[in-house]
Amino acid sequence: MGLLLAEDISKHFGGIAALSAARFELAVGEVHALMGENGAGKSTLARICAGSLRPDSGKITLEGREVALNHPLDAQKPGIGIIYQELDLFPHLGVGENLVIGNLNFAEGVLARPKAIEDFSRPFLAQVGLTVDCAAWVSSLSIAQQQLLAIARALSMNCRILFMDEPTSALSEDAAERLFEVIALLKAKGVAIVYVSHKMDEIFRLCDRVTVLRDGKTIGTRMTAQTDRTELIRMMVGRDLDSAARSAKPASQAVTLSVANLTTRKLKDVSFELLQGEVLGIAGLVGAGRSELGAALFGLDPILHGRLLLKGREFHPCNPAQAQRHGVGLVPEDRKLQGLMLQMSVKENATLSVLKRVSRWGFLRATQEKNLFDPAAQRLRLKAASPDLAVGNLSGGNQQKALLARAIFADPDILFLDDPARGIDVAAKEDIYRLIHELAASGKSILLASSELSELMRCSDRILVLKEGRVTGMFAAADATQETIMAAATHSFAQAG
Amino acid sequence: MSAWGLTIQRASRSRLFQVPSLLALVALMILAALVSPTASDGSRIFFEIGNLTDILRQVSVIGIISLGMTLVILTGGIDLSVGSVLALSTALVASVLTRPLLPGAPALHMMLAIGVAVLACGLVGALNGLVVARLQVQPFIVTLASMIGVRGLAKWFTANENVDIGFGKDVAAQFADIFRDKTVVIGSYIAAAIVFWVLLSKTVFGRHVRAIGDNPTASIYAGLPILKTQLWVYSLTGLLAGFAGVLYAAENHQGNPNAGVAYELDAIAAVVIGGTRLSGGQGTIIGTIIGTLIMGVLTNILRLNNIDSNVEMMIKAMIIVLAVAVQRKGRQ
Repeated sequence: MGLLLAEDISKHFGGIAALSAARFELAVGEVHALMGENGAGKSTLARICAGSLRPDSGKITLEGREVALNHPLDAQKPGIGIIYQELDLFPHLGVGENLVIGNLNFAEGVLARPKAIEDFSRPFLAQVGLTVDCAAWVSSLSIAQQQLLAIARALSMNCRILFMDEPTSALSEDAAERLFEVIALLKAKGVAIVYVSHKMDEIFRLCDRVTVLRDGKTIGTRMTAQTDRTELIRMMVGRDLDSAARSAKPASQAVTLSVANLTTRKLKDVSFELLQGEVLGIAGLVGAGRSELGAALFGLDPILHGRLLLKGREFHPCNPAQAQRHGVGLVPEDRKLQGLMLQMSVKENATLSVLKRVSRWGFLRATQEKNLFDPAAQRLRLKAASPDLAVGNLSGGNQQKALLARAIFADPDILFLDDPARGIDVAAKEDIYRLIHELAASGKSILLASSELSELMRCSDRILVLKEGRVTGMFAAADATQETIMAAATHSFAQAG
Repeated sequence: MSAWGLTIQRASRSRLFQVPSLLALVALMILAALVSPTASDGSRIFFEIGNLTDILRQVSVIGIISLGMTLVILTGGIDLSVGSVLALSTALVASVLTRPLLPGAPALHMMLAIGVAVLACGLVGALNGLVVARLQVQPFIVTLASMIGVRGLAKWFTANENVDIGFGKDVAAQFADIFRDKTVVIGSYIAAAIVFWVLLSKTVFGRHVRAIGDNPTASIYAGLPILKTQLWVYSLTGLLAGFAGVLYAAENHQGNPNAGVAYELDAIAAVVIGGTRLSGGQGTIIGTIIGTLIMGVLTNILRLNNIDSNVEMMIKAMIIVLAVAVQRKGRQ
């Protein structure tokens, strides 16, 4: 008998079926992956099982008994927990407070009792290896630490089933390693884990079984030892994908951007040259300065020192609008916070930076907008039920494509992509890689910042490695290995600073 | 979820998300018809042309202000100073009219008075916008301050007295005759509504307004002209409040530095009932117009049935909460 069984689960969001009679079964003590393209319904299914969403129909059975999970607390009582991709912690409350809030295992009195909170929290924090002050604000913790805190919280609720939604999407490679250790620990304690992820490597490494969803339906469940990437991809996508490989075509020798001694608040003395038609990968750990480089080039961070030459002419980026006019574009790292207008449609989001092109004398022309957007949507394989639907309802892949369209419409010579494939399904990733390849082939220069080394090695011509704001290496992609890049990213300096 | 709930949800999601408020308006009008007192010939007083146009006229002043308030709230801001700005406008227009400035040219004199009032109010709005956009002070605080300051300015300017517009033959009285006329008042509201509907839904500016309220951070990344847009939004609101003040002065035959108290709340109520979110990014002019009409019809029902105006206020409060609650349900 399984531990958790979700049967016939259906859920609609405004006419779109997120789940159609989906089925998911979890056994005691296993690590079970939930895979699927974005929009397949994985997060929705996880939320329903954790009580944050109510299904339109279906049945959830826990150890043979049917349960009604109408509220997160209904799920907390029998020991079901969930850790969201966006982490539902309170940034301006303390570590201990976050642990005890809404926690049925902690008896909250009328008055706050810091000592009691600390006594309660200590053991769980120790279990996940989090050595921080109980009173420290969550906002002062790194993302990796926050995630460990979320796991500690789940442990303190006596979780027997833990859903983890894209847990490594915001983590560096070594923080991810630590997470895997904690997962092993949880498994040893008998906690069954549902690992919602796109990352094949992790799934094959950590999970016992994998269930694939597609278009809201359960396609099948396999033992990870008895299946392979190709089969899983075929189940997820319904077709075989052709991987877009980087052609051996060399970029031209013309220098589009020359950066000399660039110094900002975070960057220190960064110098490199970007060639026309080149894809320059930007590697480094979280906090190394990848996003800061993009911010500096795009006029978001003041430049304290250094010189930029754009196509031979001096370039002083002072704000995004001006940078855009000079032909520099940026697709930011956090698409929800920094990129999208969630209440506007895909089309409106995509055309937002170039409204001049779809208007006359300040008045918007719907036909012009349609003529601009439709071919791009097709080229990017942007699938939306309706182009007028609010973009907040779409999958991560489609959201990212909308932002890419926005950046491309401005016709930049240089495009800085900050982790464009983060939290996106396999098929959409391929579409984005293909786009990068096409853009470079058409003469544009791409700066691709990413935390996934395999992605960088696959898409880039050269790879620039940053550590703590400095350049520690520049490799030709053909010569680089994951080890050499990692070494440069963690290279310790002989002298301080 | 019930069929009714799904209908509301679907409507809220789509372009016609003001359907819930429209249904509320229709429902209210049906109620009005049912409880309407009848005239001697048996017809329902509510539906008499005179009554219906009365409703339109009564909502025009707040209605005009609400148009500007819609834009402000759409950018994620708020303007608490509109009532005080209206008062300033009445004081200015009445003062300029009652001074012997252009004796032989009444039309010019009127235009001067209106121009001075409206422009001054536009400048107050621009000042609001400048502090919000440049100094990055929260709109609530900025406009709270101007609410107090502008009221003080108006009272100081008129030395705390009303400026009377007589009923005689002078230019001030002529002005009042023209601008209190039902057609002029209602026509002004309709004209302003059309202009702002076009502005919000059909122009680049309108798109920018919604984007900035939806996600201010992303607006920076997208290179949108945030400063310019905010400046214009608050200035336009000031201009509208100024014009509303002109109509008010004509209607009441006086410049009154104590006019317009709590008008900002009525305007915000109309905007919110009409479906615009206070957090910004979602809302329409049509929604605000419906919200304005709902308030107007409601007031009319209560007045026709001789309900105490204090009870009226309590009922209004309940309607506001109900309206927002229904919309939130629909959005989930």
